[in-house]
Amino acid sequence: MSNLKLRGIRKAFGNLEVIKGVDLDINSSEFVVFVGPSGCGKSTLLRMIAGLEPITSGELDIGGERMNDVDPSKRGIAMVFQTYALYPHMTVRENMGFALRFAGKPKDEIEKQVKEASRILELDPLLDRLPKQLSGGQRQRVAIGRAIVRHPQVFLFDEPLSNLDAELRVHMRIEIARLHKELKATMIYVTHDQVEAMTLADKIVVLREGEIAQVGAPLQLYDNPDNLFVAGFIGSPKMNFMAAEVVDRDNGKLVVALANHGGTKVALPIADSSANKGDKVTLGVRPEHFADAGKGDSDITVGIDVAEHLGQTSYLYARAPGGEQLIIEREESRDHGALDSLTVAISARHAFLFDAAGKRLR
Amino acid sequence: MAAQTKLERSEQINGWLFVMPALVLLGLFMVYPIVWSLWMSFQTGRGMNFSFGGFANIVRLTQDPIFLRALGNTFTFLIIQVPIMLVLALLFATALNDTRLWGRGFFRTAIFLPCITSLVAYSILFKSMFANDGVINDFLLASGLIADPIPWLGDPFWAKVVVISAITWRWTGYNMIFYLAAMQNIDRSIYEAARIDGVPAWARFWYITVPMLKPVILFTSVISTIGTLQLFDEVNVLTLGGPSDSTLTLSLYIYNLTFKFMPNFGYASTVSYVIVVLVGILSFLQFLVARDRR
Amino acid sequence: MSTLDQATELSPAIAARRSNPSFNLLALVSRGLVYLLLSIAAFVSIFPFIWMFVSSTNTAADVLTGKATLGNALWANIVTFFTTVDAPRIFWNSAFLAIVGTVLTLIISSLAGYGFEMFKSRFREKIFGALLLMLSIPFAALMIPLFIMMANLKLINTYAAILLPAIASIFIIFYFRQATKAFPSELRDAARIDGLKEWQIFLYVYLPVMRSTYAAAIIIVFMANWNNYLWPLIVLQTNEQKTITLVIQSLSSAYYPEWGVIMVGTILATLPTLLIFFVLQRRFVEGMLGAVK
Ligand SMILES: Nc1ncnc2c1ncn2[C@@H]1O[C@H](COP(=O)(O)OP(=O)(O)OP(=O)(O)O)[C@@H](O)[C@H]1O
Ligand SMILES: [Mg+2]
Repeated sequence: MSNLKLRGIRKAFGNLEVIKGVDLDINSSEFVVFVGPSGCGKSTLLRMIAGLEPITSGELDIGGERMNDVDPSKRGIAMVFQTYALYPHMTVRENMGFALRFAGKPKDEIEKQVKEASRILELDPLLDRLPKQLSGGQRQRVAIGRAIVRHPQVFLFDEPLSNLDAELRVHMRIEIARLHKELKATMIYVTHDQVEAMTLADKIVVLREGEIAQVGAPLQLYDNPDNLFVAGFIGSPKMNFMAAEVVDRDNGKLVVALANHGGTKVALPIADSSANKGDKVTLGVRPEHFADAGKGDSDITVGIDVAEHLGQTSYLYARAPGGEQLIIEREESRDHGALDSLTVAISARHAFLFDAAGKRLR
Repeated sequence: MAAQTKLERSEQINGWLFVMPALVLLGLFMVYPIVWSLWMSFQTGRGMNFSFGGFANIVRLTQDPIFLRALGNTFTFLIIQVPIMLVLALLFATALNDTRLWGRGFFRTAIFLPCITSLVAYSILFKSMFANDGVINDFLLASGLIADPIPWLGDPFWAKVVVISAITWRWTGYNMIFYLAAMQNIDRSIYEAARIDGVPAWARFWYITVPMLKPVILFTSVISTIGTLQLFDEVNVLTLGGPSDSTLTLSLYIYNLTFKFMPNFGYASTVSYVIVVLVGILSFLQFLVARDRR
Repeated sequence: MSTLDQATELSPAIAARRSNPSFNLLALVSRGLVYLLLSIAAFVSIFPFIWMFVSSTNTAADVLTGKATLGNALWANIVTFFTTVDAPRIFWNSAFLAIVGTVLTLIISSLAGYGFEMFKSRFREKIFGALLLMLSIPFAALMIPLFIMMANLKLINTYAAILLPAIASIFIIFYFRQATKAFPSELRDAARIDGLKEWQIFLYVYLPVMRSTYAAAIIIVFMANWNNYLWPLIVLQTNEQKTITLVIQSLSSAYYPEWGVIMVGTILATLPTLLIFFVLQRRFVEGMLGAVK
């Protein structure tokens, strides 16, 4: 159970810099999830930790040892790939024992380890099958089994569930969480999927174009995003962003006017002194945080384009008078399909303000 | 650039280790000979004594009636044989691509069979079949198509015909397989849509099949061109280039210059560079034609 | 207009064509033509093989007069063939060259194809591009310098002279590189994490995973080697070393060729490739297709 330390990690493919200086600490036994949009460098970062991709510059420590130049098999890591990467010509048993065979372990020892792993993952009846005779979920379990057999200090997962259907994904997600509890190993997990990130992680690392946008516990990122990017990335449906302008500063409160809502004013408890009168800012409100008219701080009226009723909740796709798109979540209300317009309230304590560069104003 | 890390270095080293044996062999037995023969083509003299002759060999080319003969023959084979063969191959492939055709497997195997025989074996076979009183003449005489036996291998015109038929026999099936494969990759629903739209069969062939096969047609015409320009085995067995050089090809001429007469390596190298240049020009032209029509 | 409208509008036309007798006749005739064409092609393709077998049972004189029925000279022809030439020896020579050549070619060229695809570097890409350009260089252009080289290395009349220039085949390297594109690079990653060295990955993962690629390549290379003629003709000059191809060709260029006997030889020369073809027909076609993709 190792901790990891990344210092100034960079990666360039030729002249293209893909990872632009990452500093990160991962504690022993922690479950860390890397999220970020496609192409932001999640896999590259993971593959550098694994040793599959050389590190252009920076320092990588695993368990207190510098690992930059160490062979992938000697880093105490194991990796589970999105495409499973099972050896197609070997049975499940041979796949799981392959690494031990090359580590020179005796046959009975290998057999014991494979048995142990297959017990944990309930793979016993499948041991003599070839990968092509398995379902997607079973293949992924074998891939995880192959990792477990090596008793790694650190597990690396690169979008392990994205080839599975929705139901199986939920099932395997729980399985992985159980595994983390049982093995207490450090796990680093790359995903696109918000829900996986929120449910599995002790700590989420949001990456953006090769840089860390924010690191924190799942709810911390949800409640307290550092910037517009993280605010927009975490949470589903996405946070609504409304163009605004600072119009006043009044005993510890910042008053902004919403450009597309006829200048409706919202007063926010923000002390940040960098915001001046006349600055262009963005106000962020999550769909689930609009209150009924009159029950918040400022009311806005929007036109409704489409209403989606999912039963318990409904999503209203709305349009501001100035043209901005908004999504509003309502609970237990079924009559919005008929509505043309709706008035809702913004509560200052559930609203976020970002400056023109996307930085959070607190 | 930053200094290489250990991992990068081992990746580089491994990359070289995998390709090195092949590169060394290719360097020795391909690159070196090519460069050497380029240099040789500027040398004159017989046997192993030669001296720098500048463009003497190239001048000699233009005045060498046998070379011009061989060049003409090679082009005759190229211009007549390659199109006939490719059109036949395309026709057979189209016919065999029809899933409702009875006996597809049999026809496909039969037409493909010639291309697994050795060049020499089939040339010998053709030589015996096209002998003056061989089976072909017997058949033609018996069926009343001709009154006198045709002197297949003894007449300049008929000898060319035999060579062309022989190559066509051997290679049509080979090209057909490429077309068949490419046709099987064309989405069937395109044809179904065209049929529903009332497009007749010939138009489906001309406006759908042919354009979609263009890359493969280009590929086959390039390899056939290269093959014909290098034609050697068949003529050497069937006719030895005769009668009176009417089937002499460039490759056979190079062979004769080198191994039959008093060797003249310099001049032979010049002739072989003619083939290199021709292959280059023709491949390029075919490539241009294929691209323009796109 | 929606597709539905089109279909309903066209269907009467289709119905009319179906019921039109002249249309049916046309279809029938064109179908008949197709079968006729294919049958002629099949006959022309197969006839020489039949002729080969028929001729081998006839005397030279009968072959020359075009006798197209089975004779009873087969045994005599076989006996003559085996007494005129050292058949086991030349068969062994051909087999040795074809098998050793195939094995070496596959090892060296597949290593290179794998290397070019798996370990990309800008420099190596340039080299590969240069190799592709050389693919179209005809053998005739290499023949003379290679011969002189072999003479200088004192390799004339040795099998090394045949094998060395053939082992690194640009075509087979290209073929393996293309095939390697379908080899998932995650397998290599997984194997590296499992602690395999690069050569072990090639041997224990790549090779078994790619066995059908190898099977196809074996057939292609074996046939090319077995049928090789021009280069052996140049560098093998002693009788003990000649291959079956060289021997039957020299028999056929005699002033009075013993056709019946020669046909026994051509059958022997064709049989191995014919057998391989029928056993591995599907793989062979696949292999050729792999080369164009
Ligand atoms: N071998 C390579 N050579 C050049 N560029 C590369 C290479 N591998 C990745 N990249 C580039 O690096 C960037 C990051 O890629 P990476 O695979 O890490 O993204 P990712 O965050 O994992 O995306 P996804 O979510 O789609 O998997 C991309 O822009 C990609 O094009
Ligand atoms: Mg990725």
